[in-house]
Amino acid sequence: MNPALRTAATGMLAQQTRTEVIANNLANVNTTGFKRSRAHFVDLLYQTVQGVANVANADADSTPAVQIGRGTRLAAVTRLHANGPLEATNRPLDLAIEGEGFIQVQLENGNTAYTRDGSLQISDQGVLVTSGGLTVVPGVRIPDDATTVTISRAGIVTAARTGESVAMEVGRLEVARFANPSGLESLGENLYIATPASGEPAVGFPGEEGFGRLLQGHLESSNVEIVQEMVDMIAAMRAYEINSKTIQNVEQMSDVASSLLR
Amino acid sequence: MGSSIPPLRASAVGIPQAAAALRNLERRQEIMANNLANVSTTGFKGEMPFARLLDAQGLAVVDAQTDRRQGALQRTENTLDVALGTDGFFVVDTPAGEQLTRGGAWRRSQEGLLVDSLGAPVLGEDDTRGGTRGPITIPQNTSVLRIEQDGAVVADGKQVGRLRVEDVPANIRLVHAGDGRFVAPAERQARMVASRAVQQGALEDSNVTPVTSLVSMIEIQRAYSSAQKALTTIDGALGIVTGDLARPV
Repeated sequence: MNPALRTAATGMLAQQTRTEVIANNLANVNTTGFKRSRAHFVDLLYQTVQGVANVANADADSTPAVQIGRGTRLAAVTRLHANGPLEATNRPLDLAIEGEGFIQVQLENGNTAYTRDGSLQISDQGVLVTSGGLTVVPGVRIPDDATTVTISRAGIVTAARTGESVAMEVGRLEVARFANPSGLESLGENLYIATPASGEPAVGFPGEEGFGRLLQGHLESSNVEIVQEMVDMIAAMRAYEINSKTIQNVEQMSDVASSLLR
Repeated sequence: MGSSIPPLRASAVGIPQAAAALRNLERRQEIMANNLANVSTTGFKGEMPFARLLDAQGLAVVDAQTDRRQGALQRTENTLDVALGTDGFFVVDTPAGEQLTRGGAWRRSQEGLLVDSLGAPVLGEDDTRGGTRGPITIPQNTSVLRIEQDGAVVADGKQVGRLRVEDVPANIRLVHAGDGRFVAPAERQARMVASRAVQQGALEDSNVTPVTSLVSMIEIQRAYSSAQKALTTIDGALGIVTGDLARPV
């Protein structure tokens, strides 16, 4: 069988994977703190179809070996951690990180996960939790009788209580950042965990050098740009089509070849 | 009485030549298929097939040369997406020896080394401001990693290495190693520091232009049909010779 068929098939498969990644990005266009992904491909091994050959005329030297590639394959799907646009919600417990960093939360198994989704809530225990109910680290307890909760840009949480004129500091939030956020592993539900590729987190107060500031009453939207994804989808679609044309073409050539035999 | 008519041989009337043309066109098509399969492969360089002079039997030989033109740079703003804005290659260490690459989505390995998307360590060069010839280590608690135009890798303000960027002279044939890499020829040389344009947060697209490849594929198909016609015609003529002329009168 003509190896070009298989080559074209790897191309079609690659475009299919790319479309799957784009589909997931588009499905999460309204997911708070979502980071879009991108598929990366590398070429497959090359086959030497014709060794070093000597040409007939004496003054020319030998021709180099001819290598023919056999297609493409998926190398990685990386997450792009560019910041999404901030959206004002005016809800006091909505937090956005303006700049780099992640809010740390504690998973059920005791490990720490990281998120950019700052739609926080107060649990029945009175501590700050994410919308998924995971405790924010370091834990901040909001007094039961607090009327307003204020979170400063530097992460200081203050609560005004009924009958008291001065708001009281009840805790301070920290943010974590990574040398290579793309190396983080996604757990779903807007959560990430550290991996050897991402490096260990550097933890600091919001607004310190290198760390983003907190913005109360805002949420970070998904960083998916619909137009960008659409353009990529069209490109993937066209590339898919063009690889199917290769298959058609190979087939027609096989037809021609088989018509040699009368 | 000796005959003066040479024996009728297929090779004398062009059948091997037509068959070689068919074979060569198939090969060209395989090359085009590979180019098109890699239209979205990061840093991919297409192959341009051309017919060489004749080989010892007087038949054409297909050859291909790597198209070194730059693919479009796409900004991703990802810390470890690295591309080159000029000619040249980064050097990675693989089990098969040093190989060349045009960059890609790199990452930090378990051991803290800077590696490419498939885990091969990216190699650095000796530099007085920091860095040795060998893999580049990214310190564990780095929070800001910068890669500068000249290839300097700076972790939290301290240079930890400088990416090796090497040129392969234009007359040296590039040999693909797969996985987006090329075999490192002996003739490669370090690129001048001032003329490096290492781009952090960008990826180089494949340099294959689908339309051109598609047009070539149509041309290949037409040529294939013509070669087939030629072969059929010759075959038909031989059929007349053997079928009609050889008939006993």
